[in-house]
Amino acid sequence: MLAYILNLATLICINAVLALTLNFIMGYAGIFSMAHAIFFGLGAYTAAYVAMHLSVSIFLTIPIAMCVCALVSLVLALPALRVRGEYFVAASLGLQVIGVTVFSEWKFFTGGIGGVIGIPAASVFGFDVIDPAQFLLPAFISLIVVATIITILSRSSFGRNLQAIRDSESAAYAMGKNVAVIKTLSVVISSALSAIAGALYAFYNGFINVESFTLDTSVLLMAMVIIGGTGTLVGPLVGAVILMVLPSVFSYMWFLPQTEIGAIQQIAYGTAMVLLMIFRPGGLIGSSGKQAKS
Amino acid sequence: MLVVQLFINGIQSGALYALIAVGFSLIFGCTRIFHFAHGATFTIAAYIFYYLYSMAQFHWVLAVLASTIGAIIFGVVLDRWIYAPIQRHEGSFFTVFVASLGIGIIVQNLIGMIFGRGFVSVATPLSESVELMPGLFVAPLSGLAIICMLVFFFALQVFLNRTHIGIAMRALSENPALVRIYGLNPRHLSTMVFAIGSVLVVPAAILTGAGSGLNPAIAHHVMLISLAATIVGGVGSMKGAALAGMLLGITENFALIYLGPQWSEAVTFVVLFLFILLRPSGFFGRAIAN
Amino acid sequence: MTENPVLLRISNLQKNFGGLKVTQNVSLDMRAGIVTTLVGPNGAGKTTLFNLITGHLAPTGGDILWQGESLVGLAHWKIARKGIARTFQDLRLFDRMTVEENVLSVMEPIAWLWQPGGRSGLQHRKRKVKDILEKTRLSHKSGVRALDLSYAERKFLSMARIMAADAKIWLLDEPASGLDRGSYSHFLDLLRSEVKGGVTVCIIEHNLDIVYGISDRIAFLDQGKLMADGEPEAVLKDPHLTAIYFGDRAE
Repeated sequence: MLAYILNLATLICINAVLALTLNFIMGYAGIFSMAHAIFFGLGAYTAAYVAMHLSVSIFLTIPIAMCVCALVSLVLALPALRVRGEYFVAASLGLQVIGVTVFSEWKFFTGGIGGVIGIPAASVFGFDVIDPAQFLLPAFISLIVVATIITILSRSSFGRNLQAIRDSESAAYAMGKNVAVIKTLSVVISSALSAIAGALYAFYNGFINVESFTLDTSVLLMAMVIIGGTGTLVGPLVGAVILMVLPSVFSYMWFLPQTEIGAIQQIAYGTAMVLLMIFRPGGLIGSSGKQAKS
Repeated sequence: MLVVQLFINGIQSGALYALIAVGFSLIFGCTRIFHFAHGATFTIAAYIFYYLYSMAQFHWVLAVLASTIGAIIFGVVLDRWIYAPIQRHEGSFFTVFVASLGIGIIVQNLIGMIFGRGFVSVATPLSESVELMPGLFVAPLSGLAIICMLVFFFALQVFLNRTHIGIAMRALSENPALVRIYGLNPRHLSTMVFAIGSVLVVPAAILTGAGSGLNPAIAHHVMLISLAATIVGGVGSMKGAALAGMLLGITENFALIYLGPQWSEAVTFVVLFLFILLRPSGFFGRAIAN
Repeated sequence: MTENPVLLRISNLQKNFGGLKVTQNVSLDMRAGIVTTLVGPNGAGKTTLFNLITGHLAPTGGDILWQGESLVGLAHWKIARKGIARTFQDLRLFDRMTVEENVLSVMEPIAWLWQPGGRSGLQHRKRKVKDILEKTRLSHKSGVRALDLSYAERKFLSMARIMAADAKIWLLDEPASGLDRGSYSHFLDLLRSEVKGGVTVCIIEHNLDIVYGISDRIAFLDQGKLMADGEPEAVLKDPHLTAIYFGDRAE
């Protein structure tokens, strides 16, 4: 039982990092990305590759994974952010699909469909974190670190710039803000921080494959952010907890067909998304105020 | 000969894609709603037909009718009871999109629970290929797909250009306020747009069921194609969406053979990506001011 | 008045949308310290002119010179950084941000993770925000979200934002429309004191109190063409123009 709870808690921490970073661009900048799972995956594969070929030290694998994600997102964001938000959704959807194909085919780096197995344990200050139960500590610390970074950024002038762009891009331009650079920066930061979650995931499981980085995952992460509440700092955490705990809750409901838990979970958060958009678009934590049409 | 075969296969898929894409383009162009659940409409229509014709052994005419009615009801209900309330309160593009996404997820999983996640297909003699020439296999389905596309597009053209309501629908995308001045209700027009857009999906759904088969996740593929064709063809241009849909069908089939099945979907997206970056207005779209 | 240097020079500006000529051969000078009011019936192309100046629209022909330098083709944010600030007819406030954040954000145009000046810079900016909120009588609402404000408060927030912009010229698009008597007279006082401080202003307005009360010059637009340009009494006494202007009003 304890092992089960520790496992759940660790996964919640990892997903919470992803939800926080997705909220940073979705809730604060208004950038709708459906490709967040790809950066999660890129971070995971990079960390695994470094661990298996270079060093298992967490202070090398994670920074390298972050740099790779930052670079890739920079290359993709620069052109993609020049277009209107609606087109960016389509572009990110495209990126997600192409990304999954690349992950499935690039055997050298990702092991193809089989994935990467036998990822060695991460080493923190020379101490190998082998026991999964011990992993909760680094996962939790990472969550705190990411949450702190995001909070500081959100409350700064950069955070205000992001929100300005979200609320009225044309007014932001009229104030002399270089919207393209601001958006690109936010995407790069978000991707780099997501790499941390990817690295943690790779070390924790010891093996990764493309199934964890599909469109379903991206949508699940979006659901966490939307249900918890966009544009708030606590919202994504709440969303992560709720959506990670949901499958367990459903499996306790004996009257539900156990083989369909996955489908039931998806129906649950699909329904939540629809109802929230009608009645409370700000999410559970977000403001319930109906937004005035400007 | 392989090239000709691929081309013919491509036209078969392309015709169906064109229908789907025009449906989506019509809805998006007139109402500016990112109707992600368009894929769900397809899935519902396809599975209704599959259930009634293949499983319950009803006559195909009844199955087609039920499919059509199902698609229309779904589209209209979505517009009236989901999209409209959202637009009344806040109506930002993303809020509507998220709700549509949610509906898509619900439908996909419900269908999966009811019919299972594997591939099913409708058995019909129409899908049996005939060897026209050595190495060239064509099924009556291809011809049917093309005929459907032509018939529906012709009807749509006539409707949009010659009827009062059709012209009003086109005006809706330009200026909803103007529509009100002429005594028409934008809400009612919007509902009509959804009804028609959803009907366009039905022949594609049925023919796909008979041809390549169905599974609940097919909504994703439908959505991806609709999106790609609408953008590549140009937002607001149904001709563009149809043309792009056709081209995507052909490209996909060629990619299937020359690049392998894993890449055929990705190729569609590479094309989409390139257009978004280099020519966001697509083939015929209005120039997008940023 | 004609000794003041020309800040903004619009020459032979054209804008076509397909076959529709929304701006036809408009030439206008805006001199430092002068308040110009753009009047004309709805659809005359006044807001379009603003959009052309600020770079939200690209002209089809003609030129716009700011202190001698052409603005045509520049990105709208670069134009804003040259000292040209504007408000919007539909306000475009940052609805989900507070009043204080709305005004503060204007003074934070740098795209990087921090603004120059460090902590003391931030304190300085916040003090400036306090001053501006006092002048616009929004101090008691500084922590309130923009979308929760009343209509008049929103109009004043729009003014507060432009006051924070530290700009050389203000383009105001119907800043006082829909205001009640009390707010309206406050608005006039505010505008007068800012103008006295040296700001060059160009206003789109229908309200005659502003047109007569503050304007040094009036430019009359109709259907994209500049019909008249001169002192208020002269322009508004022209019976031809008043027919266009009031004929529209009577609708």
